Amino acid sequence: MIVPVGAVLGLSAVLFGIGVFGFLARRNIILMLISIEVMLNAVNLSLAGFSRHFEDLRGQVLALFVIAVAAAEVGVGLGLVIALNRNKPGAGAADLTKLKW
Amino acid sequence: MTLLTATFYYMAAASVASALLAVTRKNPVHSMLWVLALFLHVAGIFLMLGAEFLAAVQVIVYAGAILIFYLFVVMLLDLPDEEARPRFGNHWPLAAAVGLCFATLAWLARVGTGVAPAATRMALEGPPQGSLSAVGMALFGPFALPFEIVSLVLLAAIIGAVVLAGRRAAGS
Repeated sequence: MIVPVGAVLGLSAVLFGIGVFGFLARRNIILMLISIEVMLNAVNLSLAGFSRHFEDLRGQVLALFVIAVAAAEVGVGLGLVIALNRNKPGAGAADLTKLKW
Repeated sequence: MTLLTATFYYMAAASVASALLAVTRKNPVHSMLWVLALFLHVAGIFLMLGAEFLAAVQVIVYAGAILIFYLFVVMLLDLPDEEARPRFGNHWPLAAAVGLCFATLAWLARVGTGVAPAATRMALEGPPQGSLSAVGMALFGPFALPFEIVSLVLLAAIIGAVVLAGRRAAGS
């Protein structure tokens, strides 16, 4: 076997952890969204690894759906960022406390 | 270790390094360029896993469309560099210890059960399993309904993005 499945899963876990770290450490909403992309890529990686391991195409199809949903998420997320920036220029994640009770 | 395995480990190391750089760079554009490197390396790993279609979609959709979209928004909004501020609260060592415990737990679970059983029947016959035709048959056969639903999701996202971003300020 060319690629050991354990290595793929470990890489996926490491990338997901890096994405979580980025999401928690960033103050900028766009960079937080980018961290989410890193996490989604890690998930796709593990789906492809399992698909290879179990010789089952469903993993790849699911990864395709994940990519499509990621594209939708980017569209809505960046639309939100633009709307936010129009109302409050230069706002970071820490400034968005309007819904806080 | 064959050359292909060595290539895989190179791809893995490079993707971890570029992900780390992507979440730590101060300049947003540099960060996105490192994410681009990450996407391309992940696409290479998809190729090695026999998922050619996924690799192509990764390059075209992620690196080609999504990242350009991000870069456009960064350009339009003219993001400043992130200033260095304390990023975490005072309790972060405790949280890091808990996270380490969970990682150890996951590792122990992996040792206990393993994911090995299917490894013996890796001898592939006929066209490779990840080939374009197989994925296409799966997408338009058993997965036709989810496929259509995904297109609906994308349509809803388009409409949502237009409504959110295209709204003018009240009164104009």
